[in-house]
Amino acid sequence: MLLLVVAGLLPIAVMVARSVTAAGHLSFEAYRGLLTSPRQWLLVWNSLTLATLTTLGAVALGLPAGILVGRTDLPGRRALTALLAMPLLLPPYLTAVGWMAAGSENGPVANLLGQGAAQALFRFLFGLPGCVLVLTTAFTPLVMLLVAAALRGVPPRLEEAGLLVAPWPTVLRRVSLPLVAPGILLGAALVFLLALGEVSVPPSLRYRVFAVESLSQFSAFYDLTAATAAAMPLAALTAVVLGLEALAVRRSGTAHGVGVLAGGSVLTIPLGKLRHPATVAVWTVAVLLVGGPLMILVGQAGGLGTYVEALHSAGDSLWRGVALAVVGGALLAGLGFVLAMLVRERPGGAGTAVDATALFLFAVPGTVMGVGLIVLWNRPWANFVYATPLILLLGYLARYTAVTLRLSRAALELVPEGQIEAARVAGIGWGRRLVWVAAPAAWRGIAAAGLAGAVFCLRDVGMTLLVHPPGWDTLPVRIMTLAANGAPSLIAALCMILVAVTVVPVAVLSMILGRRAVVR
Amino acid sequence: MRRFTVLLTLALLPFAACGRGPAAPMAKKQNVVVYVSEDQVFSQPVLERFERETGIRVRAVYDTEEAKSTGVMNRLLAEKDNPQADLYWANEPIRAEILKQRGVAEAYLSPAAEGIPPLFRDPEGYWTGFSARLRVFVVNTSVESPPHSVLDLADPAWRAEVVLANPLFGTTTSHVAALYVALGDDAGRLFLDRLEANEIRLTTSNGESADQVAAGQAALSLVDSDDAVNRMRRGDPVRMIIPDQSVDGLGCFVVPNAVVLIHGGPHPKAARRLADFLLSPDTEQQLAEADCAQIPLHPGVPVPEDVPHLESLDLMDVSFAAVAQKMVEIQPELKEWVGY
Repeated sequence: MLLLVVAGLLPIAVMVARSVTAAGHLSFEAYRGLLTSPRQWLLVWNSLTLATLTTLGAVALGLPAGILVGRTDLPGRRALTALLAMPLLLPPYLTAVGWMAAGSENGPVANLLGQGAAQALFRFLFGLPGCVLVLTTAFTPLVMLLVAAALRGVPPRLEEAGLLVAPWPTVLRRVSLPLVAPGILLGAALVFLLALGEVSVPPSLRYRVFAVESLSQFSAFYDLTAATAAAMPLAALTAVVLGLEALAVRRSGTAHGVGVLAGGSVLTIPLGKLRHPATVAVWTVAVLLVGGPLMILVGQAGGLGTYVEALHSAGDSLWRGVALAVVGGALLAGLGFVLAMLVRERPGGAGTAVDATALFLFAVPGTVMGVGLIVLWNRPWANFVYATPLILLLGYLARYTAVTLRLSRAALELVPEGQIEAARVAGIGWGRRLVWVAAPAAWRGIAAAGLAGAVFCLRDVGMTLLVHPPGWDTLPVRIMTLAANGAPSLIAALCMILVAVTVVPVAVLSMILGRRAVVR
Repeated sequence: MRRFTVLLTLALLPFAACGRGPAAPMAKKQNVVVYVSEDQVFSQPVLERFERETGIRVRAVYDTEEAKSTGVMNRLLAEKDNPQADLYWANEPIRAEILKQRGVAEAYLSPAAEGIPPLFRDPEGYWTGFSARLRVFVVNTSVESPPHSVLDLADPAWRAEVVLANPLFGTTTSHVAALYVALGDDAGRLFLDRLEANEIRLTTSNGESADQVAAGQAALSLVDSDDAVNRMRRGDPVRMIIPDQSVDGLGCFVVPNAVVLIHGGPHPKAARRLADFLLSPDTEQQLAEADCAQIPLHPGVPVPEDVPHLESLDLMDVSFAAVAQKMVEIQPELKEWVGY
């Protein structure tokens, strides 16, 4: 918990303190400038519009997708889940790059449908609609996975009882979905916050949002205090949204419903006559939204020579990113598991505080975290952190512990209660119980959490961009720095290399978990 | 838990060692840390050649388009009391001037700068210019009679036809400040008001401006010459016009790169070698031949046909120090003009 506080909360606390002081005195001047500018309110409106539309889109697509892949007899559910989940594993701007390539002068749309159609696609992409399209594609998997996992947790006896008096659609609507509503709400809240804090897609698609403002304040006006103040509303909004979500869950009287139910039996919903139309519809949407941009990138990258050139020009960034991701994933797995054990054994105050803190830090925009880390660690005595990759590892721990904590909690729920309790009664201390009893029993979950943590480290852009030490850029950062006047084929090849490097650990993850792995 | 702590320490040690902060002792192989605002696609090959020729390892931090080419400069300012960088490769000298004014820069009169016109050098050596871009019109080829002066952009004939990068960022800020210096404050302000009345549209960057012109969404824009040349070389329907070349014109605003040594940087000797290297005619030739098509400031450097010679141009006669000072002065009214 101390590590989480030092890595995540302390930088934000230092930022808050800095933003309300001037020359050693209390001052709200930075906030006054922020609040009195009409442009800021316009940016807030733009951000809220983008986040709301993205959330609606992600829930509209993710909810049925979650039901289809989680509970029905739809053919090819695992492949479909893998395809639909892919955007969540990649930096969202990769999808943006793919769509922009589709609408380019020599892109597939121009070749197939003519320049007029390509220009129409371009006009659609640049602005709010394009941002909503890209971010909905990127974050729909979050809702889908949460819904699928939660639906697998609905006690079959309740549904069986319902089926005695009503058909599946009614049971789903009246029994299953209300039970998983907290999971859907959590997914919606996370999508809203992730869209609100996104800083790579909106500038690429020329849509002005508030999250970029803190980056711009830092970048263009040389005013760290103003930049800090500009970052604070997002941090506050994150806390408010997560607080409201927690309140709603508490009032509903149900848990998040995103726990693991691996091994438990679930009822399969037969699609009947809808099976084939549903298969065609859902695969069409998946291929268009996810496969399409990636295939366009493959086409734009061209032959093997481009990939060789890409590896030659950015191979060092790739390996650095992988090394950081491996170490970051291992640390995240360890920290997440320790905290999960804490939450399990102290489900009240301390456990809730840990869980809420981790979730808050996950939802805080990367740029906010980046500025906070600079403010806190940029001191001569802290060079061993600030001037080394340790600064990135600290940031990763702060941002992504929520992922490994949740996965580890899920894994721990599979461990029979009596096994850990017996060890406790036998006088085995907390640390030994953790290492020698819980960890061996939950190793699959810990491995899965580590891989998921590594993937999140590998795809991080917002924070890494701001704090990476000289010579320690990662591949997503290199793609962004090369995007300025870089050859589109090279950028596309680098994007596909990043996709490949990310998909490999996910494939490993799938192999480890097999059919028994379910996330909650 | 003790084992966990030992494992954690062992895992982190290599990372703590490999980055090595400024206070740490020098390794056998020399290092130099450079922050770069010039596009990575153009600057990285130059730095790689430096590594090959000197054996000094370059550790770089590059800017992104989204950071408006000022992200690394802000890191320099934030790190003033704890400098991590040895040298800053700025893509324009105005912000180099600000670093000088804020005590981040260190004076260095490089012998390699001999021959570079005094207009492009700080007399005390706090920054030195090399390889310049021009501020030019990028014009869609469908436009038959393009304007010849920057001041023509306020002409009603171009109402709602012009796009311009946000003047709070990048070289557009420098250009507006230079116009204030050249025309005087009142005339500069009036020009901005007339641009607003002429329904000029703002974009997020010069690159976006050039793309809009190439796509026919605007007739023309005022951008950096590398943005224009880049689109021309990739076959977009645009051409480049160098403005204000008449005898009594304002002259074209030239934006050189600039080398700035960082005060208190951890590797001062290597930094001087890199500064000498960047300011050499060889580097200027390399950047002229690259797709950024930058104009050498040393006389007599061979250049491709589509790269103009500095001697053939009428230049705007403004001091970069004055422009830097003006840029800071007019920032509040620019913010208001943009609507921040």
